[in-house]
Amino acid sequence: MTRWAADLALGMRLSVGGGRSGWARLTMIAVGVGLGVTMLVVAASIPAVLEARADRAADRSVESQQPLSLSSPTLLTTEIRSVFHDQAVNGRMLQPEGDGAPLPPGVSRQPAPGEVIVSPALDRLLASDDGAALQGRWGDRVVGTIGEEGLAGPGELTFYLGTDRLTAGTANRIQSFGGAETYEEGVDVVLMLLALVGMVVLLLPVAIFVSTAVRFGSENRDRRLAALRLVGADVGMTRRIAAGETLAGTLLGLAVGAVLYVVAGQVAGYVVPGNMSFYPGDFRPLPTLAVLVVVLVPVTTVLVTLSALRQVLVEPLGVVRRGSERRRRFWWRPVFPVLGVALLHPLVTGLDDSLGNQVMIVAGLVFLLVGVALILPWLVEAAVRRLHGGGVAWDLAVRRLQLDSETAVRAVSGIAVSVAGLIALQGLVGAIGALSAESQADTSRFQASVLDIYPGAEADEVWVRELSQAEGVEAVGTLTSVWVWPDPGAEGGAGAGDGPASGGEILVESGTCEVLAQEAQLGACADGDTFVVAPDGTAVPAAGSSYVLADGSGEGTGDGTGDGTLWTLPASAETVAPPKGGVAAMGGAPARILVTPAALGGIKLEPESVTAYAALDPAVPDALEHLRTAAGEVDPRAYASPIAQSTAALGDIRQVLLVGTVALLVMIGASMLVNVIEQLRERRQLLAVLVAFGTRRRTLSGSVLFQVAIPVVLGLALAVLTGSGLALALQTAVEAPLTFDWAGVGATSGAAALVVLLTTAAGLPLLWHLTRPGNLRNE
Amino acid sequence: MAPEPLLTAENLHLSFGTATALDSASVEVHAGEVLALMGPSGSGKSTLLHCLAGILHPDQGRVTYAGRDLTAMHDDERSALRRSEFGFVFQFGQLVPELTCLENVALPLRLGGASRRAAQRSAAAWLERLEVSDVAHKRPGQASGGQEQRVAVARALVTRPRVVFADEPTGALDTLNGERVMQLFVAAARETAAAVVLVTHEPRVAAYSDHEAVVRDGRVRTREYAR
Repeated sequence: MTRWAADLALGMRLSVGGGRSGWARLTMIAVGVGLGVTMLVVAASIPAVLEARADRAADRSVESQQPLSLSSPTLLTTEIRSVFHDQAVNGRMLQPEGDGAPLPPGVSRQPAPGEVIVSPALDRLLASDDGAALQGRWGDRVVGTIGEEGLAGPGELTFYLGTDRLTAGTANRIQSFGGAETYEEGVDVVLMLLALVGMVVLLLPVAIFVSTAVRFGSENRDRRLAALRLVGADVGMTRRIAAGETLAGTLLGLAVGAVLYVVAGQVAGYVVPGNMSFYPGDFRPLPTLAVLVVVLVPVTTVLVTLSALRQVLVEPLGVVRRGSERRRRFWWRPVFPVLGVALLHPLVTGLDDSLGNQVMIVAGLVFLLVGVALILPWLVEAAVRRLHGGGVAWDLAVRRLQLDSETAVRAVSGIAVSVAGLIALQGLVGAIGALSAESQADTSRFQASVLDIYPGAEADEVWVRELSQAEGVEAVGTLTSVWVWPDPGAEGGAGAGDGPASGGEILVESGTCEVLAQEAQLGACADGDTFVVAPDGTAVPAAGSSYVLADGSGEGTGDGTGDGTLWTLPASAETVAPPKGGVAAMGGAPARILVTPAALGGIKLEPESVTAYAALDPAVPDALEHLRTAAGEVDPRAYASPIAQSTAALGDIRQVLLVGTVALLVMIGASMLVNVIEQLRERRQLLAVLVAFGTRRRTLSGSVLFQVAIPVVLGLALAVLTGSGLALALQTAVEAPLTFDWAGVGATSGAAALVVLLTTAAGLPLLWHLTRPGNLRNE
Repeated sequence: MAPEPLLTAENLHLSFGTATALDSASVEVHAGEVLALMGPSGSGKSTLLHCLAGILHPDQGRVTYAGRDLTAMHDDERSALRRSEFGFVFQFGQLVPELTCLENVALPLRLGGASRRAAQRSAAAWLERLEVSDVAHKRPGQASGGQEQRVAVARALVTRPRVVFADEPTGALDTLNGERVMQLFVAAARETAAAVVLVTHEPRVAAYSDHEAVVRDGRVRTREYAR
């Protein structure tokens, strides 16, 4: 035991006593391990971040069924949902019913009607030029900001708006915030897949990167070990000394990782999208995962070192590399990807959010992507064996790869795994986007809508008048919706026993032909026409059925002209299909009746909801935001949205994906640079000799470039193949249309290739330095 | 009238930091002759060889090759000169490990623009002349030290250079192998009328030279004829 400790200690001492090159090696290992550790601990901190955000969100939640006591003052409140430039801006209207009404967390006083208390991020946005179109959406009187305890994160856009127009029927009455029932909500399968794939794609290359970093300068170390053999060290001792050297670098790497983690914690919460932001205090790793990282990283690096040492014979008179002539065996390599594909079968056969499924997916992804890293060395070896001809630079590179492609392939494995994973992720995100796009409604007439579910009697006129004045709004049309009952006096009820008309409610919606065209695939339409929208599988109300347009209760239906006004579905009513790609087209939606104003015969509906459709001027860039602000001024509870499905959530995911991709590529670039530098330093004697007998610099540069480029091209080809296949499987899992994302594949592969090119270019000055003829003096 | 020297060094000064490597070193090499630069370790003999070959640039003084001032040449010109008119042999052969011995010998010709086939044909002939045809298709690591060194000699001579620079060419070999390498090397050089500048600290190796110069503390102290 003492011997072991002494050997390890000697190794650690040697690693710090190696002069400038020793320190360079130690620094490279420490930085490499540090970057890897940082990414791992950041991943281990995500659960705590999510929990802290969720806790603060729960503290401000509203329990709708709150039992109320007579003694405590109450507050009426309702949620407001809005969007600004694809960022969700959600808030609450507050209406205290007496002194001492509950305050939301982070708020020191109740805002008076018309006053707004905003989050700091929203405050900044409102004060900026970018937020001009947002000003006035909830009034102009900002009277304070919400404290940290009331926000999920510092970048969150939220607010509390004081009001006096809420009623018990249109709001929740509460005596305290928080305590909303938390229930296990089924995880969205798509989000689950995104998270699982993202986690594997980001973390797997970290392992490859760390294993590359600890091999930096291994040839020098091997020579040092040979010298130790000469003075009596046995094989076991040299291995322990090597392990000690690696441990020194790894421990330093853990320290570097800790520092980088602290820095990351300070900035990460501010660089993620606003609605995913968090406070530095939230950023703490789960203790178990942190301990695992601290223990497993050094163990892994030592194992990598010992595994690398198995490939060399450290003898007293030098180091002999084993097996450089031995061909790589292929037969066992496909086992991993095949196993991965087998484990991923739920993607095709049907996916749920069970733990078993999650484990299978993660294991399948790991096996498949590790399979890429395992097949690549064989592929490179098999390919370069068949390469010949070409110029001297090409020849030198090919022959070098034929002799030993391991070092080059090791770094490229990280690229291949990352690119394969990123292509799969982008394929999935793109498919989800396509899924959203597929359900887009017709935007040829109107491009946005405002939904008012608390309409007054004159709501349609109000919306047309107010929205028409908004900047960039060219035209407004309203759709008035009301649920009506069949005439109970009619024999057998309306429709005589057919479907919804046989006794159930039916939705009647009124608007101009232009507006109704948003709701169904209309043919010819003129004022006075009536249509029945019947999705496949629903019963069609019979012509001649009578409906009560007002029930006399004063709530719900009413015609504005008197109770019990009957309206009959005319025989001329045409049955039409729901709009293409609309929700109704997907099945499950009930039949509806669409009427033009003249078809109601002067009856004025008392609306249950009004949808105002707006035609926007494409020349006004912020027209949608101006519309939202105009709608907020009329009623903050109205929800304005583009008719084309918003992909705001996808935007956030894409941003996170972009940040992840950039981080990954930077890490890969660093890994490649380490690799190139290591190879150049180890071959500096030979390079100097080549220059001595007149080899041109461009020949050597070309040779270095080809040595890197050949494995990279093969790696990227393998990655594109695997990533695209995985993307198709993921698209199948989320029932999205199968597409090949050429742009995404091109961008990812191109970015990876660019990183390689830049990395190699960054290594060229060293090459030129090493190949100065004067360096031959060192031989 | 004595023939003009092919290669001359006049009053070369070169320092590395505070250490003086060459101090007014002067030497001449005539076409077809073998010059041995002798001296203890660190005396500056390898530095002098590198200056003569245009690898190092002296701080002061001049190196002239066939009437051309090497010290005034651009790096690219000196590289071209090394490619076409000079050959090199180093202590450890310094062959490119991933190329076969045949390809190593052919490499200087290919760098000079020869086709692969022509280069390998000449290389094969040189390997035969140096009695190492049997390792032609082996990589350097698969040949013995003596064989590797003979391959290195073949590589140095394959372009039929006018000057071959050899830095301790037998330093890593046993006596028997060293002798054989020197015999073949000097014989081949004489056949091609190449001048040889030979750095060695072994009198046994220096015995193959026509002239001998002793370098000590960066100066060429004595200059005498070996035979």
